[in-house]
Amino acid sequence: MSVIYGKVVSLIISERFGPVVEKIVSFLFKCQCSPLLYIKRGTELPLSKIKESLCVLIKYRLVNFKPNKNENLANYSLNVENVLLMLRYPYYLNHAKKLFGDQSEMIIEEVLQKGFCSASELIIKVFDKLCNNEERSLTLSQVKEKLVYLVTAKYLTRVPYAKEDKPVPLLTVDEKELTSLPNIDIKTLVMHRKDNSVELPDKNIYWTVNFDRFHQDMRDKIIVAAFNKKFDENAGEIIKIFLRQMYIRTDPWADVSNPVPALEVKDILRKQISASHSLAFFDQYINIISQETSSLLRKAGEASGGSYQIFLKEAFTQFAWELVEQIVLEKYDSKAARIFRLVKLKPYIEPDQLQQLAMIPAKDAKKLSYQLYEDNFLHIQELRKASANNGPVKNFTLFHIKLESVVRMLLETCYKTLFNTMTRCNHEKLQNKRIIDKKHRIDTILMGMKAQNATEEQMADIEDMITLPEKEILENISRIIKKFNTVELEIDQTIFMLQMFLVYQKVN
Amino acid sequence: MDEQTSSQNEDNNETQLIELAKTKPEGISNSDIKEHMPSLPMLELTTIINKLLKNGTLELFKTKDNNLLYKFKDPSKRGNVKGADNEEKIVYKIVEEAGNKGIWIRDIRFKSNLNMTQLNKVVKSLETKKLIKAVKSVSASKKKVYMLFELEPDNSVTGGAWYQDQDFESEFVDVLNQQCHRFLVERLEEATKQGGGPLLVRNRSYASATDVHKFISDLGISKVSLSIADIESILYTVVLDNNAERITNTNGIFLYKATNKFLTVPGLAKTTCGVCLIIDRCANTGLVNPRACPYLTEWLETS
Repeated sequence: MSVIYGKVVSLIISERFGPVVEKIVSFLFKCQCSPLLYIKRGTELPLSKIKESLCVLIKYRLVNFKPNKNENLANYSLNVENVLLMLRYPYYLNHAKKLFGDQSEMIIEEVLQKGFCSASELIIKVFDKLCNNEERSLTLSQVKEKLVYLVTAKYLTRVPYAKEDKPVPLLTVDEKELTSLPNIDIKTLVMHRKDNSVELPDKNIYWTVNFDRFHQDMRDKIIVAAFNKKFDENAGEIIKIFLRQMYIRTDPWADVSNPVPALEVKDILRKQISASHSLAFFDQYINIISQETSSLLRKAGEASGGSYQIFLKEAFTQFAWELVEQIVLEKYDSKAARIFRLVKLKPYIEPDQLQQLAMIPAKDAKKLSYQLYEDNFLHIQELRKASANNGPVKNFTLFHIKLESVVRMLLETCYKTLFNTMTRCNHEKLQNKRIIDKKHRIDTILMGMKAQNATEEQMADIEDMITLPEKEILENISRIIKKFNTVELEIDQTIFMLQMFLVYQKVN
Repeated sequence: MDEQTSSQNEDNNETQLIELAKTKPEGISNSDIKEHMPSLPMLELTTIINKLLKNGTLELFKTKDNNLLYKFKDPSKRGNVKGADNEEKIVYKIVEEAGNKGIWIRDIRFKSNLNMTQLNKVVKSLETKKLIKAVKSVSASKKKVYMLFELEPDNSVTGGAWYQDQDFESEFVDVLNQQCHRFLVERLEEATKQGGGPLLVRNRSYASATDVHKFISDLGISKVSLSIADIESILYTVVLDNNAERITNTNGIFLYKATNKFLTVPGLAKTTCGVCLIIDRCANTGLVNPRACPYLTEWLETS
């Protein structure tokens, strides 16, 4: 965790929760773990505000608490990863929408907005929203069905709760309870909608979004997309089924999947109507995928027509390599990328050899390799010969790459990029604050007038208060903000890829 | 007829003598010759030996007890230093030993123990006699190496096909790199067009260096004739650019094939900051900061 990481976290928090919460978060970021009164001393905020902010943060799972030595006090600590995940919310929503449709998206959105929510409330809320959008013939049970599906597929998970009554409770949840939704009677829901005094049956059973499950989907998507690009769509389709079959036998985050029989995959392919081509050449596809130099799919045994394993850890190692290479390519040029790949293929290479094999003029090769070294893409191992008394002392400079540290360095660059885009975005907003405020004011006035049934003419009058040049500026700003938001999402994808590599690295 | 047989005989005797001399590197004496070739008349022997001495196949030595000794001399080292003094002979010998890799003047000085001015003079006189030549080395532009005049300099000295007067022709290499890649891609596309299942497509898209060599020669972009090994090293750069993969087939020949990457351009590389060269100097305060960054401004202005 670096300084720039902390700054990004502060920016995200202040954008979403305001300056007070931000102050507490940055204090917690600095001291890792702290009891309430220490936070008060460090931030110099009134106790009530601190308590309120901590409540909010805990609600959104951004802060954890643990009992102190004195069990009546709690130590609060920041859940830094979850803060960064807030940038990924649009992605989760989009994913849910693509997979299960609009209603599921609404459910996920509602939970993300609230932090956590009980099932009955959730159903009612989503139903009300959808009714407002004038969706026809929707019933509560349809929404409930969707919710049940999301829970059983583990996209939603049970929030841990306190079993004993202590000043600082220990929150736990059984594995069984994670996916078992309580019985929800539609009748009670209908009654509750009419009369708020009717108690809901599952008042204290809360649900929240399981990010891990989404990340698993993201990971699979990356792998399938990679195979699509490397081979073709059919190969991607086959890998997709392999991944799906893998879950039946293997823990989703294992390094290597257990062997999956090829026949099983073929059977599933046969049921798909569109897969006639990949079915006809199924064996050949399996052949070329497993014989490819990256060999991410390897034959494990001959049983039942050959069974294959997917090497997930290796896949992400290779993706990380390729990603770093691409960055080198874009940041410097193709020659630098060539040097980088050469050092990757032949670790501990001498500069002379490097020039020869990469076919780059000696001077350029030297310049590029030392620039890469300066920017921490390459590393140097020096060999010193114990200096003999006579003759010149000979040193060997050997280049090599430590992928993990390069990846960490790039992660830092990602955070810095995020920080820069956010700062610039805020700066642009600040520069044109007056116009943006004016626009907001006029919008509220218009809303009010609309409610009072004002005539078209009156409304147009008010609208004209924004002059043409101002309109242009406003359009420009909205364009800029949109641009920054896309960049944030794209950076987040890179961060995900790099983190995936580190996650798999950590398993061992 | 008679003349012919006698000349044939002479040739025969000559080769026999050379063979004899070859078997005894320490030298042969007159008595040795008599022992091995008793039928040879003395008169004929003198003419043969004189001839051989003249063209440098044999060397004449005198032993302590005033006997003559003939030694066989390797024809490759035969270059004779006519009218040269002792220094020149020594320097010539040192240069000769260095072969086609050449030798630096400093090393000649160490080996010959001559002083600089004298050595310079000797080297110059050898050069004017066209016995040795100076070749500029590519590894160090100011370093001259000396070698025998008739030798072709080694690739390590001239740098092979990629060097013109010690300058690495990087543009030439770039063009070849692109053309090789193009060839491989075309081959892959053609194979895909022909269809017939992924395995067939893959096997058809492999090309050996010989195929590429033919293509490049037909293109006629190179004035220098390139060897297969040259193409092989160009193809390796294509592999290093991650545009192709290399496998070894059953005969031990390298085969190349254009490949696709796994990933599309990552998000970080698309951003201005991700490819910024001075990002290390960038901070919230100071001259380089995101609020005033001209690169970001430029990026914002493009739609």
